[in-house]
Amino acid sequence: MPIGGFIVNAVPEDLEVAVAFLTAIPEVEIHGHDKGGNIVLVIDAPDSEHMQRVVKKINDCASVLTVGLTYLNVEDEADTIPAGADVTGIFHGGPASGSAG
Amino acid sequence: MAQSRREFLKRTAALSAASYIGMNLPYRKQNAALAADADSWHRGSCRLCGTGCRVELGVKNGKAVALRGVKDARTNFGYLCMKGMHFWKCMGHPDRLRTPLYRESKKDKFREISWEKALDIAAEKFADSVKKYGNDSVAYYGSGQALTEETYLFQKVFRGGLQTNNVEGNPRLCMASAVGGYLTSFGADEPIGGYADIEKAHCFFIIGSNTAEAHPVLFRRIMRRKLDNKDVKIINADPRISQTSRIADLHLQFDPGTDLALLNAMANVIIEEKLYDEKFLESYVTCKKGKKETVSFEEFKKFVADYTPEKAAAICRGNMTPDKIRQTARWFAGSKGTLSLWTMGINQRKRGVWANNLIHNLHILTGQLLTPGADSLSLTGQPNACGGVREGGGLCHILPGHRLVAKEKLRNQVEDAWGIPHGRIPPKPGYHTMALFSAVNEGKIKALWVNCTSPMQSLPNVDLYSKGMRREDVFMICSDIFPTLTTEAANLVLPAAFHFEKTGVYGCTERRSQLTLKAVNAPDGAMPEVWIVREWAKKLAEKMDDPVISKCVEPFEGLEPDFALPKAIWDEYSQKLTSGRDNDLRGATYTVLQKMPDGVQWPAPTEAYALTGGTVKKFVRGMDPLADTHAKDDKPYQFYGHAHDDGKLWLWLREQADPEEIPDKDYPFYLSTGRIVDHWHTMSMTGRIPELLRANPYAFVEVNPRDAAKLGIKPGDMVEVESRRGKNFLPAKVYEGPTEGMVFVYWHDQHPDRLINMVTKDGYDPGSKEPEFKICACRVKRISGPKPLKPYIV
Ligand code: SF4
Repeated sequence: MPIGGFIVNAVPEDLEVAVAFLTAIPEVEIHGHDKGGNIVLVIDAPDSEHMQRVVKKINDCASVLTVGLTYLNVEDEADTIPAGADVTGIFHGGPASGSAG
Repeated sequence: MAQSRREFLKRTAALSAASYIGMNLPYRKQNAALAADADSWHRGSCRLCGTGCRVELGVKNGKAVALRGVKDARTNFGYLCMKGMHFWKCMGHPDRLRTPLYRESKKDKFREISWEKALDIAAEKFADSVKKYGNDSVAYYGSGQALTEETYLFQKVFRGGLQTNNVEGNPRLCMASAVGGYLTSFGADEPIGGYADIEKAHCFFIIGSNTAEAHPVLFRRIMRRKLDNKDVKIINADPRISQTSRIADLHLQFDPGTDLALLNAMANVIIEEKLYDEKFLESYVTCKKGKKETVSFEEFKKFVADYTPEKAAAICRGNMTPDKIRQTARWFAGSKGTLSLWTMGINQRKRGVWANNLIHNLHILTGQLLTPGADSLSLTGQPNACGGVREGGGLCHILPGHRLVAKEKLRNQVEDAWGIPHGRIPPKPGYHTMALFSAVNEGKIKALWVNCTSPMQSLPNVDLYSKGMRREDVFMICSDIFPTLTTEAANLVLPAAFHFEKTGVYGCTERRSQLTLKAVNAPDGAMPEVWIVREWAKKLAEKMDDPVISKCVEPFEGLEPDFALPKAIWDEYSQKLTSGRDNDLRGATYTVLQKMPDGVQWPAPTEAYALTGGTVKKFVRGMDPLADTHAKDDKPYQFYGHAHDDGKLWLWLREQADPEEIPDKDYPFYLSTGRIVDHWHTMSMTGRIPELLRANPYAFVEVNPRDAAKLGIKPGDMVEVESRRGKNFLPAKVYEGPTEGMVFVYWHDQHPDRLINMVTKDGYDPGSKEPEFKICACRVKRISGPKPLKPYIV
């Protein structure tokens, strides 16, 4: 169950929108924000993949410019690094990139 | 995990994040009774791109359990990207190679053998090849991801021991044109400034780089700069609209390969509107038509006068207009500090060196160089392409310390440093990458060592160049951490230690060398490459009965491989081989590098100086110690680079030049390729990390909506992308990314249906020998509706 510390950069004019958006995400805790559009948040997710999805969701928010990771604790997962993933499926041509942090 | 501990960790995470932006949180003091989140923290660099982000790996009970950015590091100020966050998962991964694998014939199955036996075979095969077919029948093909100590030791044994300059590496595929550009424009390789210019720049000219996905942490800095300073302008010039365009004030979209016309037209506007820096030009600049052909500034003016914005806009097409070109030139010239940034869109080109020159031209013309915020900065793709390969002697024509193989005096300096006879390093440069794999195809290379890279996937027109590696009479060794498409074609696979499982230096984009110390043990059976090379060389010396080979590794005899061995190699390289060179690293000893959160920028001749962080701007007196020692006059800037004997910057007359292949009626589309944010290169690491694999399990082709409508392609449809060399079958993403008439494919996928280098072209720059991955002609056809796909990783 990884825990990550992040700085999200929101468009300063849209700070409130971004904070509202983030508040609605259950895995996210907001610990503070400033006028420059910096938001300090912690993501507590059941696994890293879930965390990745949350980051992607945040990144896709129009008011968010970047999501920067500063700290990650993965002590629960360290013992069980999986060998691979079965991701057979259909590519729907939707946005598949953009989790830039 | 107990709830109180989770709360503790969350607060730790929040405090870490808040500290970066100077925000105070109400719970400053952590409850010590809850114990630390890790037993120990180990500082090093991220493994996964050329930005050089500094991280600390938290280790508990011998295992990596946490990762945090290093706040004091001037590369990333503590920030990391998602790819960087996951690289630790390669440690202890079940797919790791753990035992040497061997097969006599490539038709056989691999069998496990001991290290003793493996090194014996490796030595015997290389010795046999040299005895039967000569010194140039063997070759090393390395990587911009190998540590400097590794590249240095490999090339020492090959050049000084085996007497061949067949020492190459994958940076030829990504950085060679940037090297050529820096040498021919500024007289010395590598950038004058660095990342510190980001926070001082007023205009960013980002061309041929999707910084947001390929260098996300730098992109964050650029974005922050813009948010904090409303007057900052960002120009993004690229045939494709990407994540990077999100923050651009101006996006210039054009047909691939037409940007030399754009750059010349910008120079034209700068001259027409008298935006150039006359004093700077008079003091520091020579105009060049050829290396030996100097021309006047009047001639340069006449040359660019032909590139009117109207003419360039017509060549460039896309959304280009004469007004946009004028606006770009004015912002570029008029800002209080302009920083250009580029990567493969400029380098991986038939005229990559020229494209580099034309960007440098704009900086030289306007004097947007050497001052705060002004620089012409080529971003590196790999974490150690600069440090290990460009500086450490990892290409066929260069020796350590930016020395040319072709110069006898410089060869002799290296031979003296190694204590081996003069004449031992042959005068002829070896094969460059494309020539090397052609020679492998022709059976001229009989024994090839591939380290930490996968040419069976990363070479252009890869079907053709894979043939040689599959030949029965070519003995191939691969040293790596995971199976790859290339290990699949090898005779001998040697399991290597991964990052943080060994010690060594990476040198990133901005002349910065940073040390990573061993923090965890490699899986049993995997060994650091420096140990592998030393032990192999000893056996080689015996089999060849050649004491000079022993001499090459003698200084390192008996040293334990985790710290003492790499340290001794670094000491030899930095103290003996960079002394008196522009990349003077004598001050960057392990002791200093261990003290510095973010390493040292060369030149750094003394430890005392290196402890200040080194040289932020080259060539500036008072900022660069070599600018003082090499000073020829009182001028503030001293261009002491060895490639220009006139001590000047060179302004080049370079024409617009077409790519090697342009669309025609049979192959009407441009094909371009690149990297996606979640994957690293050939996916042998990131494809094994489920989070990253799931984010992007297959490569896909991006098609412009107008082209898709014409071709009847809907999102998710299966599409055939075919060139004169091969074809791929990929799902389509339809979106306003690539310009009309162009498709774009990501290159990480190993599946033969989606391995785009089977389609790319093997034309290369005649100067830098870097292939033109970015442009070729293809046709595009809808095959069917969406189909289930399976990821493929060997
Ligand atoms: S930007 Fe590059 S170096 Fe930095 S964390 Fe991401 S992958 Fe690693």
